[in-house]
Amino acid sequence: MNLRVVDSGRYSEPVQQALERVLTDRLVAGEIEPTLRFWYRDGPAVPLGRFQAYADEVATDYVEEHDVEVVRRITGGGAMYVEPGAVITYSLYLPRETVSDDVEASYAELDQFTLDALRDLGLAVRHEPLNDIAHPEGKIGGAAQLRTDDAVLHHTTMSYELDIAEMLRVLRIGEQKVSDKAIKSAEKRVARISDHIDADRSEVVDAMIDAAADRYDVFEGELSEQVLTEARTLADEQFGTDEWNRQL
Amino acid sequence: MDRRSSVKVPDGKLVEVAVSGTDRIESARITGDFFLEPPEARAELEAAIEGHSFEVDRETLVASIESVDARLIGFDHDHLAEATLEAIE
Repeated sequence: MNLRVVDSGRYSEPVQQALERVLTDRLVAGEIEPTLRFWYRDGPAVPLGRFQAYADEVATDYVEEHDVEVVRRITGGGAMYVEPGAVITYSLYLPRETVSDDVEASYAELDQFTLDALRDLGLAVRHEPLNDIAHPEGKIGGAAQLRTDDAVLHHTTMSYELDIAEMLRVLRIGEQKVSDKAIKSAEKRVARISDHIDADRSEVVDAMIDAAADRYDVFEGELSEQVLTEARTLADEQFGTDEWNRQL
Repeated sequence: MDRRSSVKVPDGKLVEVAVSGTDRIESARITGDFFLEPPEARAELEAAIEGHSFEVDRETLVASIESVDARLIGFDHDHLAEATLEAIE
């Protein structure tokens, strides 16, 4: 299968999440090729799971004071804290028939190129059901999927060098008190790529693209102006609005 | 929503049910970090929980939830019934 790789473009969190909808729909319409997209954000954000209650997950006062954008995804799963350069997020937009119907198996399959890349770099990672990438010292990252009749969107976020203390201030799990104990406990649950291997973020991404090339016929591409315009409009109308983000 | 209960599925996801009503479930809200296909089925699952008496038995509740055409991932119909029953207990 040909796989277009898009490794460029810096967008706000609402535009990033809008792109997930736009690119999935365009794949179904036959207007784009199957695509692997790496994300570059322009500020700290919380991608919130589709079914999560805003006030249960986010320290609401803190995120408002510190301009952390909270944006509800179109995929289920849990909230994460992300910062530019400190995480690696990627999306796969694939025809449904190329992805296993077995959901658990498909999470493992679609993150496999990442596991291959990280292992090549010396990181001891494994898939942990349902949707985690795990390291002996904690969770490196997690994936989420949306399936339509004809397409699968699979996106994954991993910690490269995330500020765990800040994560605890932003997400409600740490709101009560960001004590040393809470940080120690979270550090046990979150493992960061940069703590275990000596590779820049861009080297990790390059290794991932190389690993994808072992499985797919990859070629470099860009998002079209039409796609970006549609995503920006959708960000204004939906993904940047309280109506969507605070619906639950 | 004055009554809430959540279930953490072992090796799975968290599902929370919040209900309001006095002796009957007048409204229900399902939230959590689960996966659901199609996503729009969340409202149908809530509708399947609504209307039941607080005396509802587990079997009846599970049957209502199972009547919704949806794929629950990371939890199942029983977990949803369990959270609902705990919320109205």
